[in-house]
Amino acid sequence: MTSAIPFYQAAGNEIEIFEHAWKNRLPLLIKGPTGCGKTRFVAYMAARLGLPLHTVACHDDLTAADLVGRHLIGDGKTVWCDGPLTRAVREGGICYLDEVVEARKDTTVVLHPLADDRRLLPIDRTGELLEAPPGFMLVVSYNPGYQNLLKGMKPSTRQRFVSLRFDFPRPEQEQAILIGETDCPPDLAKRLVAIASALRALKDRDLEEAASTRLLIYAALLVKDGLDPVEACRVGIIESLTDDIEVAEGLMEVVAATFGR
Amino acid sequence: MEEYVGKLWHRLVTRAAGGHYPEAAVKLKDIDRVAGVFFRALGGDPGLRLAAATADAHGARRSFLSRLAGSDERIPRARMDESTLRLPIMLDVLPERSLNRELYLWLAALAAAQHEQEFAQLDQAARERLRSAHAALFGNEDPAALDAGTLELRHNQLATLCTLLRWPGLQARYQRLLAAVLAVRPDPARLPQVEGERERLICQAMREPGSVRQLPPLPAKGMPHQPVQLWLGAFSASPELILASGQGAEAESNAEFRPDDKEDQRQAHRVERVQDEPEKHGLTLATTIENILSVAEFIKVKRSTDDEPDDNAADAAASMEQLALMRNEERIASKVRFDLDLPSAAEDDVVLGEGIPLPEWDYRKQLLREDHVRLQELRAAASDPRAAPCPLPEPLRRTARHLHRQFAALQPGRRWLKGRVDGTELDVDAVVRAATDRATGQHPSDQLYLSLEKRERDLSCLALADLSLSTDAWISSEARIIDVIRDSLLLFGEALMATGDRFALCGFSSVKRSNVRFHRLKDFEQRFDDSARGRIMAIKPGYYTRLGAAIRHASNILEKQATGRRVLLILSDGKPNDLDLYDGRYGIEDTRVAVIEARSKGIIPFCVTIDREGASYLPHLFGPGGYAVIRDPAELPARLPLFYAQITR
Repeated sequence: MTSAIPFYQAAGNEIEIFEHAWKNRLPLLIKGPTGCGKTRFVAYMAARLGLPLHTVACHDDLTAADLVGRHLIGDGKTVWCDGPLTRAVREGGICYLDEVVEARKDTTVVLHPLADDRRLLPIDRTGELLEAPPGFMLVVSYNPGYQNLLKGMKPSTRQRFVSLRFDFPRPEQEQAILIGETDCPPDLAKRLVAIASALRALKDRDLEEAASTRLLIYAALLVKDGLDPVEACRVGIIESLTDDIEVAEGLMEVVAATFGR
Repeated sequence: MEEYVGKLWHRLVTRAAGGHYPEAAVKLKDIDRVAGVFFRALGGDPGLRLAAATADAHGARRSFLSRLAGSDERIPRARMDESTLRLPIMLDVLPERSLNRELYLWLAALAAAQHEQEFAQLDQAARERLRSAHAALFGNEDPAALDAGTLELRHNQLATLCTLLRWPGLQARYQRLLAAVLAVRPDPARLPQVEGERERLICQAMREPGSVRQLPPLPAKGMPHQPVQLWLGAFSASPELILASGQGAEAESNAEFRPDDKEDQRQAHRVERVQDEPEKHGLTLATTIENILSVAEFIKVKRSTDDEPDDNAADAAASMEQLALMRNEERIASKVRFDLDLPSAAEDDVVLGEGIPLPEWDYRKQLLREDHVRLQELRAAASDPRAAPCPLPEPLRRTARHLHRQFAALQPGRRWLKGRVDGTELDVDAVVRAATDRATGQHPSDQLYLSLEKRERDLSCLALADLSLSTDAWISSEARIIDVIRDSLLLFGEALMATGDRFALCGFSSVKRSNVRFHRLKDFEQRFDDSARGRIMAIKPGYYTRLGAAIRHASNILEKQATGRRVLLILSDGKPNDLDLYDGRYGIEDTRVAVIEARSKGIIPFCVTIDREGASYLPHLFGPGGYAVIRDPAELPARLPLFYAQITR
């Protein structure tokens, strides 16, 4: 845990809401498109509140045992090894499950009692029943952008959380984020944000997902390091958004219209 | 021979007349996707359709040779209306290919420039600049009172200014285009006095947008100026204009006219709205300001496509400069309600079994009426020549190959499965767990191996297509909705074959509750082969849409599939309806109950519709995430498989 507080530019009252949820021991759900600052927000809040942060990036093979822990053999005897969730419950702090809908269904069994007012974590392997200390907070996130019939949060899970919706920041804010994050010249930030807002208009029509703030930061870093801006946008933004050659060509025209070629 | 010589002469003299650079030509079809993306990215209305522009007579001075060649009498100009952005079908007016390409993109950018959101994106100084330009150009004049030429002059200057302020990077491009366009325009000094002055002002307007308010009026015999290639012929009415004239509501109906989409020859028509005045007969003359030299006649011959698709209509339309659309009291054929003749028994598909009784929900009584509906399962007769086995039609093959590749990636490869009773490798996690269990006195598991297995997606999908008579409507001069549905089913089958998912394809229609017709095109057990394709090729529109019964039957079939997940994909083109009271609320409520029943059976229903009004009733039927509206029906065949991939990933 680094002591420095990471850079975060608030878009609204999310910091206040997070603090209220924290004080009242409520679990929090953050939803929003990729690269809009969900993970950074949690890292920032953990640093701001001085809490340890346990992050678990969920994938489609993540089971309840991966969260809770397992036995290991060592020195001729068995040793119980806590999973990240158990460690967070024991030590206190924020346990952040990124992209929680990706995880296997059996994880809900351990999340449900922990997320409601019981705040309990049963470990059936060891027969323990852990009660979460006041310093524990569960935060989960997911990206509701894709319409998917098979993956989604069950209402019973969803309704155990206080929910925050994240979206891409307003242009001025996004410029401030780019400058804060990369220390790039304001003019570059402005142009990159202009490209992003143009590209976001194409979501669900020509593009599957909108251009994220993260991609803009990539491009800004590349330009700052001396790469030609148009080329930086191609590799940093456009090619990451689409595989379709014609769409990419159209998007590159937007870049050219911004940087003037 | 004469024809050949004629063609040669035409080519020669057209070339000599100049003004065109065939080797530098850029065609719209090569750039329309790029221009479309560019237009929308720059803030253009995503609902607008990109199409080829009409060639309009402009009446400007032409050289002797070009008059001799008969070229350039009509020039296609980029223009906008409420539903379409029209760009010239080909640009060869500038000497370099890159310039003609940039001209296309410039026109797209110009068309995107006039939106309020774009205005909001500007910084303070640019806004001030634009406001003052607007004030200088329009002042307090009512734009509606201006003639089209002046409006074009002012609007284009304003739009140019706005585009350049919003996208400063376009400045260099604009200067290049400007230099090229100015080079090919006539020399003002060599024109008669007033025309020369007008030409000079036009060039100034291009060089310094916002500086020219008005052109001096033409003398009686003067010729109008050459169309400005950097400008749009017309903008879709600006917001205050729409509000003033109340035309906004009509934009939707305008979109229903779709011109011939044939590749190279696709030509667009200018459509004019004509009031149907029953007491006046015969000839109406229609002239517009841009068409000073053209007279289009309007004869009251209605070509309604619904009765019988008239092949000649397309030809007749191609030779007209202007088409007339009319709104009248009569309803189109498909909306008329009368009982339809069923095909004679010999002609009809083979009936499978006696007729399956199904319940139906009566919302007025809040009661499920048991055995209220009889459903017939049908399959095309083996002897039916229309349903003979056939391979995938040639035009679909390229897309099919593409889908094969894409969907093969969706198919999960072989992967290690943990905790197997038998396998090639030890599952270390499981072994450790078993050891600890034994040590702690619990019963250890014997599932200790890893095995590499091909994992199926464990998914079955039934696609249910609406084959009612409404799918007989034409969406373009080549395709009816039924053709689009047929292509969609074919491509969908190809895509699902690549994923390895179990799937069935069915269609339905109905004539009252006693005869719901359910066509089994491909069953879960059958292979998707040429005979299945033949059955799909033979689908034809007929009768009505008793959606509830079809959903119930499809869910009964799906329920028997032993897979973990079952998806019911419904392809529809409108609301459920039938001849009896199955219409409006009754049909919707019954369908809703059928969907809820399907859900309770563990089936995931999903509806893809091409009904633009679908969003008004589909949330009620399928829930907020349970449907998708595809605005352009022609996109359905390509979009449907991708959609499936997205919702089942």
